Amino acid sequence: MILTPALQNTFLFAEPQKHYINYGSVVLHDIVSKNRQAGQIITELIGDDANADRIKQELATIQPIVFCLIAHGNINVVSCECTQKLFDTSSTDLNLLADKICSLTSCLTAVNLGPAIMDAGAVVYTGYKTEFWFYIGDDPGTTRAVNSPFLAEFVFVGSLLRGKTAGDARADQLLKYDEEINYWISGDGKNQTDAMELSRILEMNKTNSVFLGEGSIAPSPRASVLAAGISPILMFPLGLLAVGYFIYKELR
Amino acid sequence: MSKELISRWYEKLSDAEKNLPLLIVGGVAYTPRAVYDEVMRDSPIGNQLQALVERGSFGTSYSDEQSIAKLRLTEIMRTKPEKPLFATLSGKVFTPSELLQEIQNDTDVGRQWVENEASHMRRIVSVR
Repeated sequence: MILTPALQNTFLFAEPQKHYINYGSVVLHDIVSKNRQAGQIITELIGDDANADRIKQELATIQPIVFCLIAHGNINVVSCECTQKLFDTSSTDLNLLADKICSLTSCLTAVNLGPAIMDAGAVVYTGYKTEFWFYIGDDPGTTRAVNSPFLAEFVFVGSLLRGKTAGDARADQLLKYDEEINYWISGDGKNQTDAMELSRILEMNKTNSVFLGEGSIAPSPRASVLAAGISPILMFPLGLLAVGYFIYKELR
Repeated sequence: MSKELISRWYEKLSDAEKNLPLLIVGGVAYTPRAVYDEVMRDSPIGNQLQALVERGSFGTSYSDEQSIAKLRLTEIMRTKPEKPLFATLSGKVFTPSELLQEIQNDTDVGRQWVENEASHMRRIVSVR
C-alpha cells in the first residue's frame, strides 16, 4: 500500500464502548467536542465503527497526523471494539502509523508495541508501561470519580487540538495529573468516599505513562500560524471581504 | 520547628488519611491523628514525629515500609462496598476483596499497588 504523508489538522479518534471502555470514551468524546477548532478535520469512530477494518481504512485514506485510541491492550497488542485485535508487534501494516502522533490509552503497550510503532515511523507515541487503572464505582460519565483518570489522560489530545506541540501537550497532561491527584489528597475532593482510591489510581497512571518521540511537532498550528500559511493570492480577496464587511457595518 | 506546621499539615489531610498508619518511631506506627496529638502534648515522641514530618520522611526500613503499605491498603479496602470498583485497560476488573487478594498474593497487580502506596506515603508526609 502506498501512503501519503500525514496531513496537518487531521485527527482520527477511535472510541470503542464495550468491556468498560465507555468509561473513557465518553470523556474522550467530550474533550474532542470542547477543544476542536475551526478548520480541523476530525473523525470519531464510535462503538461498532471502532473496528479494525474501519480504523485501518481511515488511517490509510484520511492520513491523520493524530491517531488517538482508547482500548484494551497488553505488551504486544492493542485492540479496538469488543477486544478485536487492531495491531500487534508483528503486524505488517504498522506502517499505517508512520508520520503520526499515536496516543494509545491502553495497558502495557509501552513495553513492546509502542517502540515497534516508533520503529515503523511514528513521530510520537504515548501509552502506559503497566496497567492503566480507572474507577467503575458509578455509571460512566456521571461523576468526577469515574472521569478523573481520563480527564488527566486526555488533556494530551485536548492540547493538541488547541494547537500545542506534542511536548507542550505532554507537559499539560502531567500538570493535570498533579491537579487531579491534589484534588483527591488535599483539595475539595479529599473527603469524598472514593478519594482514597482515586488518588492512588491517578498516581499509578502518572508514574507509568510514557511519551516517546519528537516534542516539537505541532499537528494543528494555532490560528496565527494558519493565517501565515495562507497563499498570498488568497490574502487580497480576504482583505477586501474584511474591508467590505466593516464598510457595510458603518453604513447600516 | 513549629507546631503550626504540624497543625497545617494535619488539617490538609482527609479524615480517612488521618487514621491510617504512616510514621514509624521506635518500632511503633503512628497515624497522622496520633502524630498531631503527640506533638500538641509536647511529648518526647512528639518531637521525633514532628522532625520526621518537617523532613518529609517516614523513618523506616524498606521491609517495614512494604508492611505498612499493605496494612494501609487493607484498611482502605475493608471499608469499601463489595462490588466491582477497579478496572484496567487490560480487561481486569476487581472488587475490593479481590484486589486485596492480589496484594496478599504478591501478584504483579498487587505489587503495583504496594509500591505506589509507599510513594503515596512519602507524598502524604510532604503535604504542605
